[in-house]
Amino acid sequence: MKKLLFIIALFCINIPVIYSQTIGLEIGNRAPDINLPNPKGENIALSAFKGKIVLIDFWASWCPPCVKEQSELVVLYNRYKDAEFTNGKGFEIYGVSLDNKKANWENIIKKAYINWTQVSDLKFWASPVAKTYNIQALPFNVLVDGKGIIIAKDLHDNDLEYFITKLLSGGETKSKN
Amino acid sequence: MKKTKIIILSLFALAFFATTFQRVTAQNSSEPWTQQQLLAPSALAKTINNTKAAQPLVYCIGPQAIIKNSIEIGSAQVPSNLKNFKQQISRLPKNANIVIYCGCCPFDVCPNVRPAVNLLKEMKFTNFKLLNLPRNIKVDWIDQGYPVAE
Repeated sequence: MKKLLFIIALFCINIPVIYSQTIGLEIGNRAPDINLPNPKGENIALSAFKGKIVLIDFWASWCPPCVKEQSELVVLYNRYKDAEFTNGKGFEIYGVSLDNKKANWENIIKKAYINWTQVSDLKFWASPVAKTYNIQALPFNVLVDGKGIIIAKDLHDNDLEYFITKLLSGGETKSKN
Repeated sequence: MKKTKIIILSLFALAFFATTFQRVTAQNSSEPWTQQQLLAPSALAKTINNTKAAQPLVYCIGPQAIIKNSIEIGSAQVPSNLKNFKQQISRLPKNANIVIYCGCCPFDVCPNVRPAVNLLKEMKFTNFKLLNLPRNIKVDWIDQGYPVAE
């Protein structure tokens, strides 16, 4: 009986520790969840990809540098989507578009051969997610580990791939933003 | 001898300043708008909030009209939108008080501001301004608490 009480007490003590991971935008914080519709209108939550390394990619079809970056992300995604990481199994991209016209958004998805999850509330810069993630400019991204913890922010081009390969190799990853 | 040195140094200094000035001028002239044609967001917000003030015609030539009372044209990089803009402003007097804005991205990568400014210039409008949104409409307008469309 004493043993059981001890286990229950231990569990209760640990509950706050388990759930106290601060939700925020700093490296080491739990990334705020996003739950928005994909082009088919089905809501897909960021938290659905728990266990994987996830790149939250904020972009829009009206943003020329973002569109240019999509073709680079296609290469990155196909290269690492099934890879094993030290802190996640598989690599996923969660594309959040700040578009306001569905046709334009879908057009780029098709043209750039984007085959990862895409969501948008089609509210342009007025999207609440832009406020939640304090987005100052596009393109912007946040990299989270398998536990949903932010491990890097706003990495692009070679810096992004280099960071991902560091996760692969099992070496210690330094926070970078 | 000393005099010659001074003259040579002065000539070098003059050449340096002339080159620098030329560079600066070239940078400014590479854009179709002048510094005087840039309108500060705070100034436009003040005008919109003052209902007694004469209101300019504010056109959004970007993806979406965010500013209160602004007229949505659509992205000016799309030829049909630019044509529509031309039709709308062709009815206005050449000295009409016009403000255009995009706000999708910083000016250097914005695909919409240049076609719209060039059109206004081609049509000989004399009193138009480009809203100075150096980063985007969120940072430079929405986040500042300026009036937005409902």
